[in-house]
Amino acid sequence: MKEVYEKPVILKLKTGMMNKFGSSPAYARKVRKDIDGVPVEELIEEFGSPLFVFSEKKLRQKFREVKNAFTLRYPNVEFSWSYKTNYLDAICAVLHQEGETAEVVSEFEYEKARRLGVPGNQIIYNGPYKPYDSLVTAVKERARINIDHFEEIADLEKVADELGVKPRVGIRLNMDTGIHPQWSRFGFNLESGQALDAVKRIASGGKLELVGLHCHIGTFILDPHAYEVEVKKMVDFAYTVEDQFGFKIEYLDIGGGFPSKNRLKGIYLPPEVAVPSVDEFAERVCSALLSSLRPGDYPKLILESGRAIVDEAGYLITTVHAAKRLPSGLKAYVLDAGVNILFTAFWYKFNIEIDREVHGTSEPCVLYGPLCMNIDVVDDLTYLPPLPRGTRLILSPVGAYNVTQWMQFIRYRPAVALIGENGEVDLIREAEDLTDIVRREKLPERLKLEW
Amino acid sequence: MYRVAVSGINAVDNPGPGVGIAKGLKGGSLEVSIYGLAYDAMEPGIYMKWLFEKSFIMPYPSAGEEPFIERLLYIKSNYGLDAVIPALDAELPLFIKSSSLLESYGVKTFLPTEEQFKLRGKDHLPEIAERIGVKVPETRIVTSYEELSKAIEELGFPVMIKGIFYKAYKAFNISQATSYFNSIVAEWGYPIIVQQAVTGEEMNVVGVGDGEGGHFGLVGIKKLWITSLGKIWTGVTVRNEDLLSATERFVSEFKWRGAFEFECIVSNRDIYLIEVNPRFPAWVYFATGVGVNLPDRLLKAALGLEPERDWDYPAGKLYVRFTDDFVTDMSEFQRVVTRGEN
Amino acid sequence: MGKLERLAVNDEGFIFDPETGNSYTVNKTGLFIIKFLKEGKSEEEIVKALSEKFDVSEEDARRDLVDFMEQLRLYGLLEGENV
Repeated sequence: MKEVYEKPVILKLKTGMMNKFGSSPAYARKVRKDIDGVPVEELIEEFGSPLFVFSEKKLRQKFREVKNAFTLRYPNVEFSWSYKTNYLDAICAVLHQEGETAEVVSEFEYEKARRLGVPGNQIIYNGPYKPYDSLVTAVKERARINIDHFEEIADLEKVADELGVKPRVGIRLNMDTGIHPQWSRFGFNLESGQALDAVKRIASGGKLELVGLHCHIGTFILDPHAYEVEVKKMVDFAYTVEDQFGFKIEYLDIGGGFPSKNRLKGIYLPPEVAVPSVDEFAERVCSALLSSLRPGDYPKLILESGRAIVDEAGYLITTVHAAKRLPSGLKAYVLDAGVNILFTAFWYKFNIEIDREVHGTSEPCVLYGPLCMNIDVVDDLTYLPPLPRGTRLILSPVGAYNVTQWMQFIRYRPAVALIGENGEVDLIREAEDLTDIVRREKLPERLKLEW
Repeated sequence: MYRVAVSGINAVDNPGPGVGIAKGLKGGSLEVSIYGLAYDAMEPGIYMKWLFEKSFIMPYPSAGEEPFIERLLYIKSNYGLDAVIPALDAELPLFIKSSSLLESYGVKTFLPTEEQFKLRGKDHLPEIAERIGVKVPETRIVTSYEELSKAIEELGFPVMIKGIFYKAYKAFNISQATSYFNSIVAEWGYPIIVQQAVTGEEMNVVGVGDGEGGHFGLVGIKKLWITSLGKIWTGVTVRNEDLLSATERFVSEFKWRGAFEFECIVSNRDIYLIEVNPRFPAWVYFATGVGVNLPDRLLKAALGLEPERDWDYPAGKLYVRFTDDFVTDMSEFQRVVTRGEN
Repeated sequence: MGKLERLAVNDEGFIFDPETGNSYTVNKTGLFIIKFLKEGKSEEEIVKALSEKFDVSEEDARRDLVDFMEQLRLYGLLEGENV
């Protein structure tokens, strides 16, 4: 009987590095052989590597958790799915089934939501750049539009004249909630009086009906208190608007920015300690609402939570293509997935799970992607046992932003699979091939090669 | 015999409080066996067998809650563990979050609440100062060069450039300010705090709040000599009634629970609050030495025993830190490295 | 091979270099290889010994041995001409 083999490893002891546990998360050494009961190897055999995998169970569970946290505390809540976070049809469809409306920030996202069957009046149209034609469509289809700047007020008044209707609109506010950096580039500033000017402008034009306030204070906000400040300021402003201009503010859209249990670089503590629970956020928001609203007034609270809902439902399976030793002595692995499809690797440190038991001491290593570019680093320092070629790593959470921000740089984008609640596996986006990329290209006749 | 684990046993040029805490516990009225919790095999406390009967390498708090708690429970089940006195900022959130879990396994702590812990952020200082009626140096929170130079224009030189939790430098010109700004950002990220440099006497108070508005003793000191890292080397006890009563207001207003260090600058009758640390300072042995054994009292509170509350310490006691050395065997080091405990 | 012979290696995988004062830790397989290297065994002999004692193919063992010797060289524990 032969002994279990470990790849040979020698580590030099250095002060400040003499901790046999290393600084890597324990889950760095965790084994994951399946996702929701479907073997990792089976998924790869069917769809190839790398592969994004979404768990429908986790997605619905996470949404319900967020929904319950808010609906138990406030009687009038709407959830609007932040398309930019993940606009794969299947993901959006799951969340629309759960009752979310659509929150879009471009005409492309607007069209994608409409194509999926979302009625115009179930769409919230945000963003700093809304082309005129898209405003015409949105007004016609009764989408809720949150205005970002004075030019847009003028655009919408023109649309109103053109269509002979009085569009019901909201305005986006930006404000100091104690969060740094302050997102002051979107909407109208509250403290400077700009927001009130915008309301005056709308009132004096007389062509638009102001019915809502929108705000979005930042991203991956770890301080629930900031939302309390946001809500209070929005309610105060809503009453100023109602009392001075006679508009009725029907909705307060507080945006999103709730964190997922992801590990933001630069945050020392692990996410389970650093990231407050969704209940804490809900408690702050709803008690701030209930304590500052006038008796009997329950405007609709709208939440555009994206990351907090989808991030943890997404996994990426990637394969170790090669191992090498850098001149510094550091071990490096080349993976078949890099920052081309894992845009969030710039900001987050993912959980790394291994598809099999690998014996041996963990050693410091760096994970590189497949690009021939120096910036293609998936993890600049983690601790892994010596991985044989072909080992699959399961990275998570990667459900937010990656499948919308991924880029087609030198490689095809991989397939995306969805595991249903009963373990059924569906391909929800095919891996790309050459035809996807060349379909729009035109080669002038005179440049045709004759080799 | 109580088995108590103490962290921060890195008695180096920027010392943790662990050795001071251990000296207090040894000199207290309870019979204790002390374990050291270390993050590196080179932490001197590991080798100070006269204080720490055993020492254990801990996973870094950043590695997650589970391995950390598992490690503590490993100590509990193999060697017995009644209480832990954590002493490092980086591990406190984890201990605070897990305190009831640890309690359910019979491992006691006596820590601030999560809300209290958050007050340590320098951006919360104005709120504390307002509620207890002291001043804070004028402060700006900045996240860019533009905001930095604007803040400096308003405050004038010299200014303090600080990280939100760690690091503080005094800058006398714009190039110093920019370079400190950069170095703090590189290490600890945004935001950066720019603060008016207040002149006066730097005084600190160490104490243990009982969680109900009272406390188990306070000791006020003034640093007479500090190292280039800003660490106290010589100090003297003071009884500045304004400072002590401000500290008592802090304890009662926030119902502070557990150890704390209250850092101030006293300028005539004005008290400027500089920082609140939610743990013992590295010089905590000073309190023990003047008859207010705060580590011992904190342990009693953790164990559910009634600690003493007298704190009539004399002014004019001198604190002297000095360097010392000893020789041990490489095999001690080897065991820590290979087994993670010794 | 002079360098390796000086190293104090214990069974728990702790290595101390009395000449430089550096310390290292090594896993079971690494320890096994170092013992053979100290005895002056050739790479082929070590590969064979590895695959006899452990559950590993000669091919994998050879690849890992190359990587391991590269690490030793980077730490200055193996002189160039021995490789």
